[in-house]
Amino acid sequence: MTKKQLAMVIDSGACIDCKACVISCKVANKVPGAFSRNWIKEQAPDFSGTARPSMHFQPGACMHCDTPTCVAACPTGATYKDLETGIVEIDKGLCIGCGNCIPACPYGARYRNPETCKADKCDYCPERRAAGLPPACVDTCPTKARVFGDINDPMSEAHQLLKSGKNPIVTVVNEVTDTKPNMYYLDKTAPGDWTEPAVVPASMTAMKQLTPLVKGIVGLSGLGVLAMLGRQLLVGDSHEQEENHHD
Amino acid sequence: MASNKGASLSRRDFFKASGLAVGGGLLGGLAPSVAKAAVPDSKWESHFSACDMCFNKCGLVARVRDGVVTKLDPNPKFLKSRGMLCARGNAGIAQLYDPDRLKHPLIRVGDRGEGKWQRIPWDEALDMAARKMQEIRKKYTPCGHLFSAGADLQTQFVTRFAEVYGSYNITSHESLCLLSGTRGFLDTFGEVPFADVLNSRYVIMAGANRFEALVTPDSMDLMTAMKDGCKLVVLDPRFTKTAALAHEWHPIRPGTDMIFMLALMHIIIGEKLFDPEWIAEKTSGIEKLTEHVRQYTPQAAADQCGIPREDIVRIARELAEAAPRSMVYPGRRTSDYENSTQIRRSFALVNALLGNWDRPGGLLAARQVGLKGVPYDPPWYDENPDDRVDAHKVPGMFEHEGSFVITRDAVLKGEPYPIKGWFVYKTNPLVNAPNRKKSIEMAKAMEFMTVVDITMSDTAWMADLVLPAPSYLERQDPCSGLQGSVACACVVKRDPVVEPLYKTRPVFDILKSIADRLELGEHFDFSMDEYRDQQLRGLPDAMDALDRDGVYYNPSKVYGIYDGRIYKTTSHKIELYNKRYEQMGQDPMPVYTPPSSVPENHFRLVIGRNAYLTHGSTCNNAMLHELVPENELWLHPSAATKQGIDTGDTVLVSSAVGQGEIKVRVTEKIREDTVYMLTGFGPLSKGLSLIQDSGASIADILEDRFDTISGNASMHETIVSVTRKVPA
Repeated sequence: MTKKQLAMVIDSGACIDCKACVISCKVANKVPGAFSRNWIKEQAPDFSGTARPSMHFQPGACMHCDTPTCVAACPTGATYKDLETGIVEIDKGLCIGCGNCIPACPYGARYRNPETCKADKCDYCPERRAAGLPPACVDTCPTKARVFGDINDPMSEAHQLLKSGKNPIVTVVNEVTDTKPNMYYLDKTAPGDWTEPAVVPASMTAMKQLTPLVKGIVGLSGLGVLAMLGRQLLVGDSHEQEENHHD
Repeated sequence: MASNKGASLSRRDFFKASGLAVGGGLLGGLAPSVAKAAVPDSKWESHFSACDMCFNKCGLVARVRDGVVTKLDPNPKFLKSRGMLCARGNAGIAQLYDPDRLKHPLIRVGDRGEGKWQRIPWDEALDMAARKMQEIRKKYTPCGHLFSAGADLQTQFVTRFAEVYGSYNITSHESLCLLSGTRGFLDTFGEVPFADVLNSRYVIMAGANRFEALVTPDSMDLMTAMKDGCKLVVLDPRFTKTAALAHEWHPIRPGTDMIFMLALMHIIIGEKLFDPEWIAEKTSGIEKLTEHVRQYTPQAAADQCGIPREDIVRIARELAEAAPRSMVYPGRRTSDYENSTQIRRSFALVNALLGNWDRPGGLLAARQVGLKGVPYDPPWYDENPDDRVDAHKVPGMFEHEGSFVITRDAVLKGEPYPIKGWFVYKTNPLVNAPNRKKSIEMAKAMEFMTVVDITMSDTAWMADLVLPAPSYLERQDPCSGLQGSVACACVVKRDPVVEPLYKTRPVFDILKSIADRLELGEHFDFSMDEYRDQQLRGLPDAMDALDRDGVYYNPSKVYGIYDGRIYKTTSHKIELYNKRYEQMGQDPMPVYTPPSSVPENHFRLVIGRNAYLTHGSTCNNAMLHELVPENELWLHPSAATKQGIDTGDTVLVSSAVGQGEIKVRVTEKIREDTVYMLTGFGPLSKGLSLIQDSGASIADILEDRFDTISGNASMHETIVSVTRKVPA
């Protein structure tokens, strides 16, 4: 249990799929090109004639899970659950850009930023929070579908929405991998069938349970990770040198 | 002739009387619009402004670091937008830093529309513009020069310039947009209402798409109202996101909304579901309307519009049951059919029967904002013709808006008199006006055409002289008064949040400079600060509030504005029966005529919006382009199967006036007899680098018909064929 748990409580029934949150996040966090830290999924309408066709839109992003599979997948400890805030953080100094964490997330919340060569995902806009502002997606939402706050703080609106019992609360989980996500949806949400089982490369601790053949493969992948680490450090050096030239 | 009706107090006297110094500088440095309260510990500076990515003018806070805008956030104190900034508002940053921005004045050196330009210095550009305007005025009278300006805070300076220069021929963007609805509601209630969506219990939305075509506060308030139990019924041939989130969606046959509304009235009157006292006191013509709607039975309507009879009856009863907190939402863009004024008047009449005027959950009168006009006194020009070039073609044209389609025909014919000069600001008819071939011919008919814009729009592409303007984040604008329904009546202003990136000039500066050269400088001898002081002369606290909060609110009356007051109509009441229409030879009550039939293997082309684009002005925005890289033609699966077309196939869409190539999206979100595409793609201009060879332009395909009362364009009257293009 973390001291705080910063989380989002979302009324996806209020989402109109305007994508203000997507663009706001991209600007606030300098997310390049076609990548995005957040998304709006849609429940496709049923035109078969059995019921009135309708749609449901579901905003989402990193769910800052209680049992995050991405943490288990990270070979360097760059990805960790911050016990102070409940945020799943990426220490960019430790991230080697190996990409193991990307398929390890059942929600596809992570991508490899081609500009920084590091893993990237939602971190609830730390610079904005430090300045007393809500995360970019929360601030800009036209229908105020997203409520952000510490769900362990009884005074927070997020806590009250979650615990009041007025609304049923649902999470989007995967049958194979329940990561205990901290992204909560009021009443109901859809779609619910889009998550993927986490693909976690066998970690060093898990290796003892594996067959020799798999051990060999994992070991090789480990070498690959080490090779990337070495490359990353070199790249990091050259970047530093370039910056020095500018000074 | 609005142009020669000056105020009795001359503009010079006006500024003198108020003790203001004249002839102040143009743009000072950055105005002190730093939001004091926000972001205490950050490295950002925060500046208030008002968004310009569409017409809504949402309050924003620009976060600026080292002279660079890093983020645009909603102004949380801005009630009209309910403290939001949409995708376009957030992407304003990509407009400011767009590499396709115009950076220098350009003069055409090749053939018109060929795209050969040469950079020239500003002084030379302004000298040339002034010289050409003077030549045209000498040769063809001042009315031989046309001015077209879209909705913008500086548009008033284009109007001012045109009138002191002497031309009556000013067209706004609105005759390609909302004038039919304006006419229909004005000619019923005596003014154009604002919808109290927030407090409504039942909303019928026809010909509007508020969850995609965002209008503040209506779009946000509609969701809030629905969360609070308001029922939303959507009539649309297209399964829009509004339809997708509604309680009911009825894929109505396009062009039949009027008979649906007439049938609602048939039920409401026939079953006496209205408040007889209210109707007797506030309206005129109920007996005639009772007689008139008798013929429009629910079955007659069902046969035309394709909505089952029992649904029409039920909706009428539910709507009346919720009255007066119920409405037929008036809508905004109403440039649909040749009888769109009458279609929208039928919407207005249902509202009248609901007794919702001036009451919670209904249609509201304009609230007092308190911003004052700044009058001026245009000179009289004896040589001018009697009237606008588009006059007398339709009985209900708005003199101050004009009709672009009718004006264009007049230019092409040279009748009733020649127009040989064209100045365009903040409107893009080469993208938005139907029948682009005619728009191109119109540009070619000009001896000189000047366009002021921030990028090389399709309209700029056809010009002789292109003058680069600063974006909304780089310039100082007049104050603007906004109606926000129950949310607020407010004033916003714009000051630069960063220094201009390029050697651009705002249209105010450009016109002031040209006016000086034409010896009309006395009409522009004020600074923007002085102008704003004049606008705010009745609101002594407003500037402090604008500096402190980014917005000034006038706590003016919301409901009951008409208590004890007469309506601004001929009968001084809400006009169910319009006597003036009778005198003009128009139907005094809406008479249904079926839309043209759609032949087999043909489709009616409808247009519309999504929440990511504002017609032609945002398709080339790098961030929005990620969301919508090109437009697609929506085609129903059964129609697609018949023609052997799959999603992703390129098709040729052909009408009587033109054609376009576009990729198809096969979808059940559209009726079988209808196709749909977004505006703004398929550009002429080579200066819009992201959307080159992307999609098709509605302007190439739509026929140029117009509303026979208002002169508004009719953009849903075009029948097209769709054929698969076989790859070469």
